[in-house]
Amino acid sequence: MMPLLDIQNLSVTFRDGEERRELLRDISVHLGKGEILGLVGESGSGKSLLCRAVIGLLPSSKLHVTGGRVLLNGQELTDTAAVRGRPIGMIFQNPTSHLDPVMTIGKQISEGLIRHRGLSRPEAGREGIALLDQVGFPDPAAAFVSYPHTFSGGMRQRAMIAIALACDPEILIADEPTTALDVTIQAQILQLLMDLRDRRGLSIILVTHDLGVVAQTCDRIAVMRNGQIVEVGEKRALLAHPHHPYTRQLIASHPSLSHASDEVPVHAHHKAPLFQVQDLRVEFASGGWLGGRKTFRALKDVSFDIWPGETVGIVGESGSGKSTLARAMLGLVPITAGEVLFEGQSLTKAPTATLKALRNHAAMVFQDPFNSLNPRMTIGQTIAEVLQSQGETPVEQIPARVDELLDMVGLERALAGRRPRSLSGGQCQRAGIARALAVNPRVILADECVAALDVTIQAQIVALFRKLAADHGLTLIFIAHDLAIVRNLCERVVVMHHGQIVEDGPSARVFAQPARAYTRALIAAIPDIDPDRPINGGINPETQQEYAT
Amino acid sequence: MHRYRFVLYRPIQLIPVLFGISVITFVLIRLIPGDPARVLLGTRATPTAIANIRAQYGLDEPLLTQYVYFVKNLFAGEMGRSILYKVDVVQLIGTRIEPTLALVAMGVVLSLLISVPFATISARRQGTLADHTVRMLSTAGIGFPSFWLGAMLIILFAVKLDWLPVSGYGGTFGEKLQHLVLPGLTIALSLSAILTRSLRAGMIAGLKSDIATAARARGMSEGVVFWRHVLPNALVPTVNLLAVNIGWLIGGTVVVESVFAVTGLGQLMARGIFTRDYMVVQGVALAFACATVLVNFLADIITVVLDPRIEL
Repeated sequence: MMPLLDIQNLSVTFRDGEERRELLRDISVHLGKGEILGLVGESGSGKSLLCRAVIGLLPSSKLHVTGGRVLLNGQELTDTAAVRGRPIGMIFQNPTSHLDPVMTIGKQISEGLIRHRGLSRPEAGREGIALLDQVGFPDPAAAFVSYPHTFSGGMRQRAMIAIALACDPEILIADEPTTALDVTIQAQILQLLMDLRDRRGLSIILVTHDLGVVAQTCDRIAVMRNGQIVEVGEKRALLAHPHHPYTRQLIASHPSLSHASDEVPVHAHHKAPLFQVQDLRVEFASGGWLGGRKTFRALKDVSFDIWPGETVGIVGESGSGKSTLARAMLGLVPITAGEVLFEGQSLTKAPTATLKALRNHAAMVFQDPFNSLNPRMTIGQTIAEVLQSQGETPVEQIPARVDELLDMVGLERALAGRRPRSLSGGQCQRAGIARALAVNPRVILADECVAALDVTIQAQIVALFRKLAADHGLTLIFIAHDLAIVRNLCERVVVMHHGQIVEDGPSARVFAQPARAYTRALIAAIPDIDPDRPINGGINPETQQEYAT
Repeated sequence: MHRYRFVLYRPIQLIPVLFGISVITFVLIRLIPGDPARVLLGTRATPTAIANIRAQYGLDEPLLTQYVYFVKNLFAGEMGRSILYKVDVVQLIGTRIEPTLALVAMGVVLSLLISVPFATISARRQGTLADHTVRMLSTAGIGFPSFWLGAMLIILFAVKLDWLPVSGYGGTFGEKLQHLVLPGLTIALSLSAILTRSLRAGMIAGLKSDIATAARARGMSEGVVFWRHVLPNALVPTVNLLAVNIGWLIGGTVVVESVFAVTGLGQLMARGIFTRDYMVVQGVALAFACATVLVNFLADIITVVLDPRIEL
């Protein structure tokens, strides 16, 4: 049978004056009717560029299609602008930035209905509400007249899908549609895409960096690297018998493959906990002095202890309060009520002394490896600055100590003279960890520190943390939305939901037998690389839960 | 509708602002060396005559007492009598307010008529000759002082070409409009330079934004992308910039009205300062301040209407 979309030997080149770089090289891949093709690769592999090239929306005027052709229903595609919307629709990674904030969702849907299907405005209204119903809005008529910002991330992505469907596409290109979403919401959106394929006979190209996402949704998988397709095949065959070494590496790095450590909790050897959090409450106020004052309760009476040498994962979806908890423990956020004790000292009763102790013994690693490093300072200067302000290392020994720290995190010593801009994300994150280690901390707090990194790099950083914790007896508090990574790294996991701890226990136990329904739903939603496991573990998505905030 | 609740409570927040303004305007004019009685009576006035005038206007009282009278009068809707014009200041402002309002309105309208098309051309043809010309002109527009620009416009359009009146303010509506073109243009040229730059930057960012990409991916034409998605988003920050600049512009009428001899508040203010007419200066300053506050309030309302995300 003739494929619906057939990309043949497509090449895209970056041209700037004399400079020429081939960003896509000789790409050939096809998409059948009603098929879901997974396009997998790490950042910079060219997967988004390929999608953009098909509809002629290359992100810069310095990029040119320099070879190959695209066939649509056997016809060569000459005018890419004519296929946009219909028959090729596209949805994007970040629904928040791709929806027009000053236009109602209804108007954005009607735009496509009027242009591509020739409906009148009242007809478009009726059809638009029906579409919002199809993509799972509980109150489609109300959603139609609402602005995008009134919805949660998951509902915004549903709105973007409805807007794409309004143009009546045969092919939907979904560019990382779930990357910005929480796991449970991700599972719902993926389920929606599969339903749409079944109901409308839609053909879908699903672009993602997560093999787990494609394993459970796609029919075929294409693996991209450095602007080339290294391997294409039916998903079961490809996952079971990968030919290309890179595919094998990708599969091996997937966090769902490794399993929880069964290590015995270490606090048996210690007398007192390192951190004691008692009935901690944090509230944020909003509103002016005459306007209605509102308080948002980010943490609701949270209590737990952290023992020396533990590796604790704090997991939860966005807005669950996990970052606030970490910041409150370091004294970075004012505490409304309750207590934080660090080595028995109270952060509320003796703030000055406790903060001093925290600054000397606790260090933080941040989510964004680039922006948490000063762009004007070299890596060496960044680390040396910490050593100087701490004042415990004699000035003449600082360079040697910097080298030592770089060795510890597996960075070449020569990189000390480089600035963040000339390093990769993984290297920057290693530098961030080296900076955290500079104070010789007893505890490291890592806030989503691998979320921005590619899977293979994530695996390396997790291995580094594991080694550091083992070699130096560090206490590690690892905050993440990605349960799979926490399962690999941490011996204990604390699950947060709506500012409260819903479950706390050894990883092996929590992941094998979650006691609470919420934890079960969270674990079920982890994308698994096993293609025979149903999406979302077969648990019915609760659509209502994520509706308008 | 809770987004519009600020319309009710914002005026209450303005009370301390207006109090502060009244103190500053009252004190500042009295810090300038000179004496209104001496200016009024000339250099050969007798000490008794000067003392009489001072007593008549309450200028011999301690500063604090004078301020209390000033505020008391304000609550009664009065701002004292002008020493120079011998008229009630409220009445005086009433007769002079129209030309100033018309001038500011003319300046704003002309500046929008200039900046929106210029910014559009510039943003949609970024990097072309048209774009470079617009950018060069807008840089120049910021650089020219309004008294010089006003004089040049008079020489060109009124003296050499004889298209428009040199100065003054007419009687009929048509005459007034004619008289306001050159001073309005003087204001608009510098204001539109600022607005064009802001709009152009907003439009260029908008054309490259994800919103525009998403609209193009739905098959929308460049025109639809620009007028329906890029322009409304680019207008939001520009409205606020315009409001801040109208504040400056109201003060700027002092210069422009003097150059073009428009009988408005700005000119009244300038005369008041030279003659140490305390009552007039503090009255007009207060009126200017209130107008500035009001314009910003209006801009807030417009912003809330334009951008559904904003809550004040």
